[in-house]
Order: sequence, then C-alpha cells, then structure tokens
Amino acid sequence: MTHDDHELDDATLHAYVDGQLEPSHAAEVADRLLRQPRAAQRVLAWREQREALQALHRDWLDEPVPSRLSAALHPPATAAVVASPSPPWPRAWAAALLLALGLGAGAAGGWGGHGWWQGKQQAAAQAAAQAAARAAGRDPTVPEYVRDAAIAHAVYQPEKRHPVEVGADQADHLVQWLSKRLGAQLYTPVLRDYGWKLVGGRLLPASDDPSVGGALARAQFMYENDAGERFTLYVSTGAASPEAPVAFRLTQRTEGGSTTRSLYWIDGKLAYALSGNFDERRLRVLADLVHARMGMIARAASSP
Amino acid sequence: MPLVLDEALPLLPRLRRHARLLCGDAARADDLLQDTLERAARKGALFHAEPGPTRLDALRNWLLTLMHRLYLNQRRDAREALHDSLDDEDTPQPLVHEPQQQVALRLDLERALAALPAASREILLLVCVEELSYQAAAQVLDVPVGTVMSRLSRARERLRQSMDGVAPARPPLRVVK
Repeated sequence: MTHDDHELDDATLHAYVDGQLEPSHAAEVADRLLRQPRAAQRVLAWREQREALQALHRDWLDEPVPSRLSAALHPPATAAVVASPSPPWPRAWAAALLLALGLGAGAAGGWGGHGWWQGKQQAAAQAAAQAAARAAGRDPTVPEYVRDAAIAHAVYQPEKRHPVEVGADQADHLVQWLSKRLGAQLYTPVLRDYGWKLVGGRLLPASDDPSVGGALARAQFMYENDAGERFTLYVSTGAASPEAPVAFRLTQRTEGGSTTRSLYWIDGKLAYALSGNFDERRLRVLADLVHARMGMIARAASSP
Repeated sequence: MPLVLDEALPLLPRLRRHARLLCGDAARADDLLQDTLERAARKGALFHAEPGPTRLDALRNWLLTLMHRLYLNQRRDAREALHDSLDDEDTPQPLVHEPQQQVALRLDLERALAALPAASREILLLVCVEELSYQAAAQVLDVPVGTVMSRLSRARERLRQSMDGVAPARPPLRVVK
C-alpha cells in the first residue's frame, strides 16, 4: 500500500540484526518487517542465534586470568619490576564494579600515571567516560520524566510479588484505566512473537517537569520474557513539541552496580521512555519495535 | 598516545573467551592469547589512539587484529590447512552435505561453532559476540567490508544448518498461552 513495501534485502536484514543501521533506518526496517513475515522470521532466527552466541560461556568471563597471560603484557625488561604485585585483578565483575564506581567518580582520572593502579583507574575512568559520553553526548538535558522513568524501572523491575498494579489478565481494563487517567489513548503493543509478554502496568505520579507540561499522572507498562528479563515502557502526557519528528535518545544511570538504560522519544502528545538493564543495541531494537507497533495499532484504531 | 600495557588488563577475560571459542581448545587458546599479548608488548609503540571514549575499543580491536593474524598464520602452518580453506568460503564441507550424517550432526551450539570453517567462526565471534561493526571486523580480518558481509551471511546459514540439520521437523516452538 505504501512506497516502501518492496522486499527487504538480506544485507539490510543482517545489518539490522547486528545493529549496524542508523536508528532512523532501523525504525523503518522494524516497521516494514511487520508487513514481511518471511523476512521477520529470518531476522528472528538470526537474532536468536546472535544472542545464543553471546551467551556462550559467559561463565569463562569470571575465571581468573592466569598470571602468565597478564605477565605477557609486560616486555621482558620491565616484567620483573611490574609483575610482582599481581592480585587476581582481571575478573569481569571487578571491571564492571570499577566501571560503576567510575561513573560516580567521574572521568577525572586523567592520563598522568603509568603505575599498576592508575592503569586500572584509567581503564575504568575511560569506560565510564565512554558510557557517560554515550549517554550525555546525544542530549545533555535529559528530561525529568526520563529520570522518573529510570527510577520507576529500577524500583519495580526487580519486584517479585507485586511488579505491577494491574496484571495483563485484565489488559483491556488496564489500558482503559490508564488512558483515562492520563487523558490520552494509550496502547500496549503485543510483542509475543519477539518473546516478550505484557506483565501489566501501574499508575505513577509525575514529578515537576516543565518540559512535558502539567500532567500529573504517568503510566508504566512492564514486559517480561521467558528468561525473566524485563523492560518497562513509561508514558507521560503533555509533550512540549508534539510536531517534532520522532527521535530516539539514550540515557543511562547506574545504581547499586546495575545499569538502567532508557531510550526516550516523543510521538505526538505522548512522551515515552523504554528502560531495561541490557545493552544499547538490544534496547534500540526493542524501542524500534515498540514504536512501530504502537504506530500500527494507532493507525488501525483511527481508521474507519 | 601509545599503549600503556596495563590498559589491556580489563580486556583479558573477554579476549580469553574469544580465543577459546575461536580455537575450541583451552590450552591452544591461552597460547594464542599469550602470543598476542607478547606481540602487543613488543609492538605497543605502534598503537596510537586518542585518549577518550573510543580508546578502549580501539585497543580491543588492535589486540583482536594481532590475535587473528596469529591465528591465520597458525592455520597456514598447520597440516589441517589443506582441508580448512582459509579464505575460500566455497569449499564444500563434505560432512554437512552427507544426508545420512546430518541427523547425527545436530550439534549443540558450541560444537556446531567449533565444526564451522575457521573463517565462519571468526566472523561470527567478531560480529555477534564481540559486537564489532562490519567496518571494524573488516579491519581486524584485513578484508573488504563486502567480504565481511558475505562471510557473515554464509556463516549464519551454516551454523543454522548444522544445528537444525535435516532433523525431523520440530513441533512449533512455544505454545505458551
């Protein structure tokens, strides 16, 4: 029905799965995949394969690295001097911990020293700076509602017994209720074909946020997959620039060693933030998908 | 600025897993990583990247480049190089194409990966596991980007085949409600 309905080629599909496309192109591909079930099937299979490969022997990352390997980094002349203090440092969790601490300490580490500890600090500060730059580089002024979303995610995502206020078994009621409270029609896309099912949602109070107007009620929807991973979709009304084109922006915050990444965007009068504890690429694919499907439901609902 | 060798320490667990999945053998993998790091220590002056957010990625890519070059040399030297075509992805894999063998060859992921031609394994590990861009993978392997894409496409297909084989059609996945 539209100009873009020609078949997606394999090169594009591979690049989509591998996160090689620009966000806007990826969103367009996600949208087209909804109308190309065969291509979507391939994408799904490749993505599963990719995730399975990534999961392969994660346990090895926690094994201590033999000292002969870390010692190999030092040229013979200096090996004797530098190799003596060799605690079992390079463990993945330790690196992750430093990264988390580094985020708090800022990227002030600098590049002055060559000592053992400074080496670590530099690496950690660098990783932190990288993360911070990635988060802040796109837009230093993260709207207040996005921070609220990340906090709400961090609070409810780990919740075992009461993750949501109204469960997905009452999905229709949930959407009606929250739509009424927010004063705008909300949608919960079905993502079952990608392994995500709706857990439910809740009503949340807004903090004072000039960037999205005076609406006081917010909504949070939670999705979960078979592996028990969760992401939340947070919706706020009163977007300041309803005419602006949809652009996805990323931010992240680290608390208690766990990093919540949020992709946020404004579409019409609604402002969204999708938050999860996984990497940027997965989050982008999800956001593309959620955005494309909500658009589809909205179009279907508004057409006679 | 040139390499400060300790910068590479946080990368070691990941590089080590990479080498183990690449070689399919823990002892050979550690030897490969040790050779890589020794070479890095000797050639550290050749590494140049600006301080800043991309430096650690650049360092990782440089170490991966050294590792894959050594791995290539090993394969050239090894007797199995006769059977394990280095660059040519078209060499048929006789085992995979024997219909009778395919059922027996439904492998779990780790063994399927180990059974792939080395070039397929390399590209899957670099792109899927280490999440390198196609451009960066092309630099690590010293091949054009187009080659990265064609190898990747074949590798994905091969891996899928060797895991699915011609096994009897499986019931549809997830009948979850």
